[in-house]
Amino acid sequence: MSKGTRDRKSAQARRIVEQQKAAERRRKVTLWTAVAVVLVLVVAGGIGWGIMANQDKGTVTTPSVAVDEGTAFAVGSGPVTVDLYEDFMCPICNQFEQSTGGTIEKMVTDKRVTVRYHPVAILDGASNGTKYSTRAAGASAAAAQDGKFLEYHKVLYANQPEENSSGPDNAKLIELGKSVGLGSSFETAVNDKTYDSWATKVTDTFASRGFNGTPTIVVNGKQVEGPNNTLPTTAVFEQAVQAAEG
Amino acid sequence: MDLKQEQPTRLTAAWPWISTLARLGLAVVFLISGGLKVTDLAASGRAVNAYDLMSWETAKVVGAVQPFLEIALGLLLLIGIATRLSAAIAAVVLVIFIGGIISAWARGLQIDCGCFSKGGELTGGRTAEYGLDIARDVGFLVLAGILLWKPRTKFSLDGLLLGER
Repeated sequence: MSKGTRDRKSAQARRIVEQQKAAERRRKVTLWTAVAVVLVLVVAGGIGWGIMANQDKGTVTTPSVAVDEGTAFAVGSGPVTVDLYEDFMCPICNQFEQSTGGTIEKMVTDKRVTVRYHPVAILDGASNGTKYSTRAAGASAAAAQDGKFLEYHKVLYANQPEENSSGPDNAKLIELGKSVGLGSSFETAVNDKTYDSWATKVTDTFASRGFNGTPTIVVNGKQVEGPNNTLPTTAVFEQAVQAAEG
Repeated sequence: MDLKQEQPTRLTAAWPWISTLARLGLAVVFLISGGLKVTDLAASGRAVNAYDLMSWETAKVVGAVQPFLEIALGLLLLIGIATRLSAAIAAVVLVIFIGGIISAWARGLQIDCGCFSKGGELTGGRTAEYGLDIARDVGFLVLAGILLWKPRTKFSLDGLLLGER
């Protein structure tokens, strides 16, 4: 074997060893980065799961006057049940209150319907972080506990903030309560956020029943909507109640 | 070297840059969509629930886990670690999202897809724009596809670990 051939051979061998080393390194990097990626994703998912699991742990003070698994306030004593899921931040809920609230009140007086108001909080993201929906729903529970849910419900709509504004602060919520005759126990409950976690529970129950938007209007277990998922007009709502009366 | 191979070489040199853009673009997409949802996990759960594809209990878990997965995936893509695997996971996630939107569309649901928001049911005359949502997600899927095909990128941890420059 000549010297030239030997040199070529050993250079070739070196190259092969280097290639094998590079391949080995690539294999290691691929393996361990893949392991790292999977670990990171598992940990991230675990964090989300953990936070959610802990959120559910808090104790909930359910207002003793609440009906329907403690998630609603009943007004009236008629045979037809109207479930109204509302968010005090939701402009369309206010619209329904303005358009059909009077009709519902008359149905209550005529003992045709029992209305169950479910104050949910799905628009907490629309009040610059002040969670107006939850605070208002919690305050309405305090009002209900003192026998003035409907009065407070009305005054909240009359003073409804624009979406994506901070909304009335707790002092203002208390002031609104006083304007409809609510007293110190109401004030304490609002300041202590006594029923705020209850509002979260009501919202959970609402979602677990497969509802997603507010207002959701249900007459004797049947959801009432206008064409194309729009707000039902007063006439459509009246028809639904009549149909339920049979 | 003859002239024939001159052209492909130039494209070969360009690929890592194209892939880098795809990687960073996809990272930003996931960071933003996860970041928007992570601040309200309950709302995220309701957005998943609005698709009406699973029980509320399951939707709640998916809604809580999903934003964190999206942010983690965004960060992994940002630093460029196991790029091909990360891109594959992103592609799978996007296909699931697209499938969900198509299914909601097919069933005539009127929901906000919750892609870059907290989602939920659409009310008051807002209509779902499923076509646009799907087109956008397909665009993201193309980015993931580029990375799956050409995972070598600039400024990546992969490159650093492999001693590339």
